[in-house]
Amino acid sequence: MNTLAFLESILTGQLLVSGLVIVLLVHVILGTVAYMIYLERKICAYVQDRIGPNRVGFDFGLPALSFLKGALGLGQPLADGLKLFLKEDYTPTRVDRLMFTLAPAIIIVPALMGFVVIPWGGVWDMPSFTLLGVAVEGGPVHVTGAAINVGVVYLLAIGSLGVYGVTLGGWASNNKYSFLGGLRATAQMISYEIPLGLSLMAVLLVVGSLVPERIVGFQAREGWLMLSQPLAGVLFFVSILAEANRAPFDNAEAEQELVGGYHTEYSSMRWAMYFLAEYAHMITSCAFFTLLFLGGYHLPLVPWLRPEDTSIAGALLKFGVFFGKVVGLICAMMVIRWTIPRLRYDQIMIMAWQVVIPLSLGVVVGTSVAVHLGWTGILPMLAMNGVVLALLLAAQPFLDKGVRTRALPNARIRLYGSRFSPMPGERVVTSPSDPTALEDRPYEGTARMI
Amino acid sequence: MAIPERDIKVLSVPPMTRAESLYLPEVFKGMGTTLRHLFHAFGHGKGSRTMQYPEQRREDLAVVEGGMEKRNFRGFHRLNRDEQGRVKCVACMMCPTICPARCIHVQAGESPWDDREKYPVKFEIDELRCIFCGMCEEACPVDAIELTTEYDFVGRSRQEMVFDKEKLLHVYDVTINKKPM
Repeated sequence: MNTLAFLESILTGQLLVSGLVIVLLVHVILGTVAYMIYLERKICAYVQDRIGPNRVGFDFGLPALSFLKGALGLGQPLADGLKLFLKEDYTPTRVDRLMFTLAPAIIIVPALMGFVVIPWGGVWDMPSFTLLGVAVEGGPVHVTGAAINVGVVYLLAIGSLGVYGVTLGGWASNNKYSFLGGLRATAQMISYEIPLGLSLMAVLLVVGSLVPERIVGFQAREGWLMLSQPLAGVLFFVSILAEANRAPFDNAEAEQELVGGYHTEYSSMRWAMYFLAEYAHMITSCAFFTLLFLGGYHLPLVPWLRPEDTSIAGALLKFGVFFGKVVGLICAMMVIRWTIPRLRYDQIMIMAWQVVIPLSLGVVVGTSVAVHLGWTGILPMLAMNGVVLALLLAAQPFLDKGVRTRALPNARIRLYGSRFSPMPGERVVTSPSDPTALEDRPYEGTARMI
Repeated sequence: MAIPERDIKVLSVPPMTRAESLYLPEVFKGMGTTLRHLFHAFGHGKGSRTMQYPEQRREDLAVVEGGMEKRNFRGFHRLNRDEQGRVKCVACMMCPTICPARCIHVQAGESPWDDREKYPVKFEIDELRCIFCGMCEEACPVDAIELTTEYDFVGRSRQEMVFDKEKLLHVYDVTINKKPM
């Protein structure tokens, strides 16, 4: 009897629903990731005037199942997964074994942890019921993995943990290309974390709350924040592209320069974990963007889809709306990937520090002023955005010349102290003094036996 | 050959306008192009350039639609027969001499027939070494060796892809209707 009372005291409706949501969502996310790879290949193919995967169905070569032979290639993710499972899991000799094994796990854990605070289905008014003899009290429960008050901060923290896996994987591989990829990822994440946080600040200043539910509620009342804060929205989207290591910011794995970047040495399922994490990260980022700028599960102009609806059907519909928005954003990310070529690494850094960060700072300042004056409607906010943009454009010609020339797309940045641009007063020999020298390398200071 | 001065056009990259240097409008323009291609090719639409290979083949298409130009396509070899069904080759060693890949091996022997002195006792072409340049066909004085339009022949071993005389004559037998001499 005592155990029963104890169980009843801890088994709240919220706990049950949260557990259920987490168990369901892990599978939904992993399945979505598998089909996102299919979607990516399909979109890529159509953009390049091809067809993409169109042969693999679910017939497994059995004549009895031939009716499952799909012309859409829907069995492709299964085949890909099977291939990755059966591939040789190769570990190079001189790697840091512990870190090399741990890194894929470290990257996938935060990628799957971000989902818990996303308010997928709003609030459900759960009826009371008895589960295996334990009475569960009903009442309003949040259809989310964890209904915590600082959900947005949690998302930000977990999202930036993802870079650890990339950096560790690159470092543990004991390969200079992997290492460069890891370093690039680190610097890029740190740089883009700042505009991410700043544009988030612009949202939070307007909403005045960190609770995901309230952010959605605010947008349901006052209009989506993408309408009132378009500048912050665009900056946020650029930042999440960079955070998720997506093209055009996929310098960490730039195939043409770094072979495969941080996952050069990985194969089989460990490589698949990186892939999975990248796509899971994309879903998290898009869910984050949907929550902050696209009104979460709110859909205007549809009368039977009210955000205050607390029935189970309402919760499921809200989940559908939320997920639909996320999938739409993912498609947009994929189209962007096949539109914009990868930026050069220094261009990415210049863009972060000279364009995106000042712009987001301007937006934060403008939003603070507007909020202080009480202008939080859509039109005053839009006017504020326009003023910030106009001010920055007007200031552009008066910026430091060095800044402007470097912002030119192909301006060459000299490496001071190198033999091609020596320090003032430095004497560098740039041609070999020895006629039999094999390399064009300065020999000064090198001891040679003759 | 030097390019004449009047044919050289010097182009310079025009400086970016203010709207272009904003980057974002151009990105949306580019996305418009991408989306146009996406929707034109969607579901094997009219923008799609893919051919479903084993079901559709280039031989069945007109040349202007990207089909195979059968008259000068260079596929696998065959050894032609004369009217009496004998091998046409006179083992003159022109083709192994001209072959840049050195994939033709001919062993000549005294001909059992009166109209020629030699005939090939052995005639082997390593189709894996062959680069399908067609020089053997050009060099042949009696039009004995010819390239067919066959290209999708597979073997389960390297040895299987070394075509001997019987196989080359067999290729003639099965392709003579497709490509007359």
